[in-house]
Amino acid sequence: MVSKTQETQLNRLENQVDNGGGGAWEYLCLVRMLKVRRSEKVLKYGLSILNDPKKRSALGPEEWTLYEQVAIAAMDCQCLDVAKDCIKVLQKKFPESKRVGRLNGMLLEAKGSWAEAEKAYSSLLEDNPLDQVIHKRRVSMSKAQGNISGAIELLNKYLEIFMADHEAWRELAEIYASLQMYKQAAFCYEELILSQPTVPLYHLAYADVLYTLGGLENLQTAKKYYASTIDLTGGKNTRALFGICLCTSAIAQVSKGRNKEDKESPELHSLAATALEKDYKQRASDKLGLLTSALRSLKT
Amino acid sequence: MAADLKYEISQNAYIKLVLHALKHNTTAVNGILLGRVNPQNENVVEIIDSVHLFHSNLALLPPLEIALIMIEEHYGSQGLGIVGYFHANERFDDVELGIVAKNISDHICRYFPQAAVLLLDNKKLEAVPKGKCQSPVMQGLT
Repeated sequence: MVSKTQETQLNRLENQVDNGGGGAWEYLCLVRMLKVRRSEKVLKYGLSILNDPKKRSALGPEEWTLYEQVAIAAMDCQCLDVAKDCIKVLQKKFPESKRVGRLNGMLLEAKGSWAEAEKAYSSLLEDNPLDQVIHKRRVSMSKAQGNISGAIELLNKYLEIFMADHEAWRELAEIYASLQMYKQAAFCYEELILSQPTVPLYHLAYADVLYTLGGLENLQTAKKYYASTIDLTGGKNTRALFGICLCTSAIAQVSKGRNKEDKESPELHSLAATALEKDYKQRASDKLGLLTSALRSLKT
Repeated sequence: MAADLKYEISQNAYIKLVLHALKHNTTAVNGILLGRVNPQNENVVEIIDSVHLFHSNLALLPPLEIALIMIEEHYGSQGLGIVGYFHANERFDDVELGIVAKNISDHICRYFPQAAVLLLDNKKLEAVPKGKCQSPVMQGLT
């Protein structure tokens, strides 16, 4: 997961390299560190370094990491010949390497030879049953073949062992949400909030899932989590502000027939609405009219 | 079932949706189709514009609700209404309308019974740069 500052830095570097300003190696290192998926650019700039013998030798021992990075990017862009060449080079240099074995498995995956890839991964797992990357590759293989329930099963088993893998919890939550299994998705987000309570993204996603589940209790909890998101982001998160407005109007609708006294809600709602209007005035003043009418329809 | 409904999609609407799908080629994307019934011919629905919605977390309700409210407000003032839904699946060979897409499009159909549902055919999209003129797969809704 990438923070906003890291993302702006990455985009700035990308623009610089795109416009011929150099800095390709720094860009590739940053992509690798942040683990973002920019395969077309990585392929283009990685290859330009690797195909130039002078630049390649300037890398020293980092050359092999670059080969691995470019191989994976090539597989993502379906340039399987490039990937095969990179892997061949790596195999020559590191003949007994498990890391190269993994790349070979990924190449089989990219070709669509699922059974062979599964065989390759199982044999690698026999030697090293705690290899996280291979476990996750098996999950993605299930997902790629459309076997979502298989992916869920494998991912659950993985998380029983590696409970601290936040990205895996997020992936599981998204899979559950896409299947409309919102209760299970909520559970995943709960785990994430427990382990990393200061990350606003999880609060926001949890609130969204609770709102989608519906029901008065869930809506009230969702409102609390939207509020905590706003707290954690210093009031800058537009989605959370909108979430508050949605929650208050939904709660009002659900509790229309009952006698529940929700004294604090009009304040919270108007605070959120004011914050939104201020934000829109600053960043998109021509859409301000749209916002006010949308908020008005929510107030009813 | 209405007899022989025809849909006309403007280039603008079509291109916006396809470009959005291409930009986020690793995730599912969706969008809303806007337009109106042809005033001269009731059996023709004109899709005049489109708004692309999300490229992550498509199944969550709050962003969708806000988006729909704002879209209706904005395009209502131009005389256009929501006439359909566009969806592109995450996987290359997935040509089925998933649960989320079905739910959203059912919902739209309740408000506009002649709503169109467009599902992007990834295989045809792949063939586009090779010069073939392709269109997204269309499915009518009951």
